Amino acid sequence: MINDIRVGGLIAYCSVKRGNKKTLMFIVFVLSLIFMNLVFLPSMIGGMTVLFTGFMQDYPYGDIVIEPSGDNTYINNADNVLQKVRAVEGVRAATKRLDAGASIEHKQKVVGATITGLLPTEEYDISQYPYIISEGDFLGELSRDEIIIGAMIAGTGFGSEIYDNLGEVRPGSLVDVTYSNGVKRTYKVKGIMEGSFELVDLNALVHYKEIEEVYGLEESKATSVVVRIDKQGSEEQVQDKIREAGVNEQIFTWADKSETLIKQAMQSMGAINIMSKFVSLIVGAALVLIIIYINVLNRKKEIGILKAVGITPGSIVLSYAFLSMFYVSLGILAGLTLYFSLMLYFQANPVTFYETMEIRPQIDPMLLIQSIVTMLTLSVIAGTLPAWSVSKESILKAIWGR
Amino acid sequence: MIIVKNLKRYYGTGETAVKALKGVSFEINKGEFVAIMGASGSGKTTLLRILALLDDATDGEYTIRGLQVSSLPEAERSYYRLTQVGYVFQDYALINEMSAAENVYILSMMEGKSRKESYETALEALDKVGLKGKHNRVPDELSGGEKQRVAIARAIAKKPDILFADEPCANLDTNNSKQVLEVFKELNEKYGQTIVMVTHEPWHTEYVDRVITLEDGNLVNDEKKKEVKNNPYVPHF
Ligand SMILES: Nc1ncnc2c1ncn2[C@@H]1O[C@H](COP(=O)(O)OP(=O)(O)OP(=O)(O)O)[C@@H](O)[C@H]1O
Ligand SMILES: [Mg+2]
Repeated sequence: MINDIRVGGLIAYCSVKRGNKKTLMFIVFVLSLIFMNLVFLPSMIGGMTVLFTGFMQDYPYGDIVIEPSGDNTYINNADNVLQKVRAVEGVRAATKRLDAGASIEHKQKVVGATITGLLPTEEYDISQYPYIISEGDFLGELSRDEIIIGAMIAGTGFGSEIYDNLGEVRPGSLVDVTYSNGVKRTYKVKGIMEGSFELVDLNALVHYKEIEEVYGLEESKATSVVVRIDKQGSEEQVQDKIREAGVNEQIFTWADKSETLIKQAMQSMGAINIMSKFVSLIVGAALVLIIIYINVLNRKKEIGILKAVGITPGSIVLSYAFLSMFYVSLGILAGLTLYFSLMLYFQANPVTFYETMEIRPQIDPMLLIQSIVTMLTLSVIAGTLPAWSVSKESILKAIWGR
Repeated sequence: MIIVKNLKRYYGTGETAVKALKGVSFEINKGEFVAIMGASGSGKTTLLRILALLDDATDGEYTIRGLQVSSLPEAERSYYRLTQVGYVFQDYALINEMSAAENVYILSMMEGKSRKESYETALEALDKVGLKGKHNRVPDELSGGEKQRVAIARAIAKKPDILFADEPCANLDTNNSKQVLEVFKELNEKYGQTIVMVTHEPWHTEYVDRVITLEDGNLVNDEKKKEVKNNPYVPHF
């Protein structure tokens, strides 16, 4: 066995050393593309995931979100919950929100939207809402007949072509809102918010008290209590502490929340991802198989000679295993170089979606390792099979073709 | 040391079978340099391949030094080919991507010799065939005669019991042929190497001790040109 390895190594070494360098470069180039293909798309999707989870934290869920337990529509006595939560160590800020379904009308144009009732002054510490007003101003403590409209439904933001919108709504325009319980209100648009994210730009914001009043709610009801923490990564500890503090509603971390949401959003992406990985692996394996197969056919006579002079079939097969490992290792190295250069490029020049959503690909070491191992394994198998089948042929047939 | 009894080799079966060897018997002694001659299609190559364990006989017995080699399993035959039998092909059969030294060296590696020992063995064998200083050349950089001498070096480096050569000079001009035959003769005379060589050319027989002639699958003539030194001990190099 040791001899087989030494001799296999020698054969492979000579074949690389004196083989055609152009062919070698071409093979390595193609393999590097296959490797790239294997890791690039998942990295982009990873970047998207990071972006989306960021959105989840910055807008609907904070770091931790408390939602009504059981079938309840509302958290009862959210102020009580807030009081408990704010006392928990590691909590930086918390606020309550009331979400409601509504339709918004402006000059005969109607769109459906979720309207979130929030406490404007508290939101500065909680979310990015106050910071993404592209026109006009954010709500104030006294804003009662005023509304903030997402850019996509306002008809000014990017993506307006895709969704129904209100035409050109600007700060100062008047809109009529019909809530899900039939109550109608007229609001003056105070600002347009543009977060480059559908969950934000397709929504509208009013003061918490508006929703409370429209739905006739009392005793500080809330559809969610949004919590921000001091230290990223301590979500779960804080979550436990909140529970220990006697909050009996459902408590989620942003990760819990995003997981379901992103899972849904990414499902189609994931399918494409898996498909593309699968296809590149098949193509890669087929390529290595073809390369080695042609190589083996070209050298069928040599294989016969080697056998005739007493070289074991094991060494011959091993030499091809080494060869394909060598090709693939070079391919992976070249692929990694290409990959990291592209990563650097995209870090500096992120892909933009909806004009402002910047996607920076994420490097996932596990994915890289997994891809490297898969490619090596597949190629060694693909590279060894043809050699194995020829090395089993009779010497006479291999050398003299009969 | 080689005993062949009633060796037969049929290609195909039944009525259409080609009877390449119809039952040949002979013995070859240690230290002999034997030429196998005969017309084209008389069965020379067929016989040599069986003797070198590259092919199986259909029937008959074949023993080397008392060992019934015709019935060995393939792995052992492979080992025997590696360690005891040298074979020189008509068209050199060198590995083009390997230098002269590597072509020889690889067999010692296979035998389990160390890198250094293998290399020294290879150089020694290349010296013997007169290729000193050319061991780093690849086959493409060598003449036909030189290539054939590399092939001979590869076959003798392991110091085989018997060296087989199938028309080793068929692709060579007279000059190169003479060089190759001289090498054989020297190996035979100086080191007592047993050699069995297939050839067409009558003038090649000047170099050998004995000529076996085949005709249509039968041994028709066995002529000892000089009484060979069937001495009990020939110093093996
Ligand atoms: N694989 C094979 N299948 C069928 N017939 C074969 C095969 N190999 C050889 N033969 C036949 O066996 C006979 C002997 O062939 P062999 O090659 O041994 O002749 P040879 O004496 O070496 O001839 P040459 O001088 O032309 O090399 C020939 O009739 C040949 O056609
Ligand atoms: Mg022949």
